Amino acid sequence: MTDASLNGAEEPRRRGSIHEIDARTRKRNAREARFKGYGIGAILVGLFFLVVLAVSIVSSGLPAFTKTVVKVEFTMSQEQYDEAESTLFKTAAYSDIFIAQLRDTMEEEGVEVAFDEGSIERLLGKVGGTLREFYTANEDQLGQPVTFQLPASSRVDGYFNGRVTREGLTESRFLELTDLDLVDALADAGVITQAFNWTFLTGSDSGVDNPGGAGIGVSVVGSFFMMLVVLVLALPIGVAASIYLEEFAPQNKFTDLIEVNISNLAAVPSIVFGILGLAVFIQFMHLPQSAPLVGGLVLTLMTLPTIIISTRASLKSVPPSIRDAALGVGASKMQSVFHHVLPLAMPGILTGTIIGLAQALGETAPLLLIGMVGFVARDYPDGFVGGFTEANSAMPAQIYTWAARADASFYEKAWGGIIVLLVFLLLMNVIAILLRRKFERRW
Amino acid sequence: MYDAPLRKTDVETKNTKIVAQDVNVYYGDTHAIKDVSVDLLDKTVTAFIGPSGCGKSTFLRCLNRMNDTIDICRVEGKISLDGEDIYDKRVDPVQLRAKVGMVFQKPNPFPKSIYDNVAYGPKIHGLAKNKADLDDIVEKALRRGAIWDEVKDRLHAPGTGLSGGQQQRLCIARAVATEPEVLLMDEPCSALDPIATGQVEELIDELRGQYSVIIVTHSMQQAARVSQKTAFFHLGNLVEYGDTSQIFTNPEDSRTESYITGRIG
Repeated sequence: MTDASLNGAEEPRRRGSIHEIDARTRKRNAREARFKGYGIGAILVGLFFLVVLAVSIVSSGLPAFTKTVVKVEFTMSQEQYDEAESTLFKTAAYSDIFIAQLRDTMEEEGVEVAFDEGSIERLLGKVGGTLREFYTANEDQLGQPVTFQLPASSRVDGYFNGRVTREGLTESRFLELTDLDLVDALADAGVITQAFNWTFLTGSDSGVDNPGGAGIGVSVVGSFFMMLVVLVLALPIGVAASIYLEEFAPQNKFTDLIEVNISNLAAVPSIVFGILGLAVFIQFMHLPQSAPLVGGLVLTLMTLPTIIISTRASLKSVPPSIRDAALGVGASKMQSVFHHVLPLAMPGILTGTIIGLAQALGETAPLLLIGMVGFVARDYPDGFVGGFTEANSAMPAQIYTWAARADASFYEKAWGGIIVLLVFLLLMNVIAILLRRKFERRW
Repeated sequence: MYDAPLRKTDVETKNTKIVAQDVNVYYGDTHAIKDVSVDLLDKTVTAFIGPSGCGKSTFLRCLNRMNDTIDICRVEGKISLDGEDIYDKRVDPVQLRAKVGMVFQKPNPFPKSIYDNVAYGPKIHGLAKNKADLDDIVEKALRRGAIWDEVKDRLHAPGTGLSGGQQQRLCIARAVATEPEVLLMDEPCSALDPIATGQVEELIDELRGQYSVIIVTHSMQQAARVSQKTAFFHLGNLVEYGDTSQIFTNPEDSRTESYITGRIG
């Protein structure tokens, strides 16, 4: 008994040529086309914002990688040195000598702009101190020409980057209009130039009044040691927990409860883990404050659910026939898991781990709570152990610290820091893809 | 080959290998196997036939305790191999499975080389003393699996790269490599074409000389071609068990006759 006979429909339902599209088909096709349109639209909107983001990051962040330097060839004779050292205000004496020499240089170059000690200080900062530091440390350089690359002040830097303009310049103690004439003249003479800012890549956070000396290098090291802690703890714990839950644990209320809670943990806001770390690791266990070790422990707690969920998913995706095959030839449960299931699940596990690590690398909130803020470290840690226990910052926390500072130069540094952070994330993703390729197998 | 006459064999002289007594299997609340008692003979091919869902695969998987891997599965009754209860507390299923090998419905070679596929079992059971020994075992198993000539030049090619029929024979070679006493085959030819099926059936007939082979099949012709004993399952009951020739020519139970003639199933 078929539907057709029930309806009493004797004649064929469809008539006409298949070369003519009927109304129903046309309607269906239109619906499909509309849906495709929505999809393409969604992707275009996403791409648009991605491009806007990338352009704004790069355009705001690139100035952080250059710095404005004043290149001055300078000779100091033994007599000048002795004389300066004998005066009461030693650095002022050095400053005077420097100004005198700079004036000579400018005369040679044919630059004629008036300037005084005040403008030198506004442009270069404490020149006298820098010179004195150099010559007291290297007395053998006396009497010989030395080329100094003195960092210009953040305002001059801003003038070159377009952040400071003549029109927008108001009377301030930081920079005057006449100073800009001097800057222009020196730039024309090739005395002031732009150079790559190695300090930004290798240095540590600087004081609030010295954005030129700020660098992200030390906090990169902090992040590195944190990631090491996360990798060493979260990967084995996470994988072991997933293997047990997925392959060995009996299905009962208790394991269901654990499963639900792991999923819930993945959704817990990171700041909660931060305050947990503060209470448990620092206040209760008395681990050193601001240490990458503690940061790593906190981030391990945060990353574990991610790793467990992705590992379980990749274990689940291994076909059961492989397990049957192994058990069928008399392998034990553990042999079947470690010899056959785990190798097949490897690419998924590694991808999940690296995604978890990348997430941890970009996490800021919990680090602020355990004191890993920007300004706590001025130097690279001492040795391998020091890397874990000495107070340090991490990249995102450093970026946050810079972004909160008043000087617009630090804002630039924050964007630059984001570029560095993104480069590291990109690298991790590339590693994830390469590992996936390497371990992927057909079955 | 397909019209081969039913074999007349003197099954009465063979020893009993596996004895099942009042076996009941439950999946949760589902009663999958009901009071099955059967004596399976050594050096004999026994076929389990019956419509889908009748419990023949379930019963087969009870014989090497593969059902242990299913949490909700519960087995009652007694199954003994050479007089020893296989559901005894002292039995490690791993040791049991080394004695009772299994070939599955879908060819499932490991995603490793042909050599490693066969060598895996002997390796984990410590059957080979050295590399040369292992090489011998692998060659012998592949020869017994009737696939040696096809793969001897590419032992280190992936096992998954073989054709379906070759993969299934590789799986049989893998199963015999551990020197089992009983070989369970769960619809080994359902994924194979007639030519590969013919090769596997020939192979089963050769294996009979050394093993007790128990094969689940949906093909009545296959049961008639390869087996000496046949058991017909229906709705979890063992309806009839006897010589294949008798089951197919003169069944005692009306349900068996209906199934064989195509009226139920």
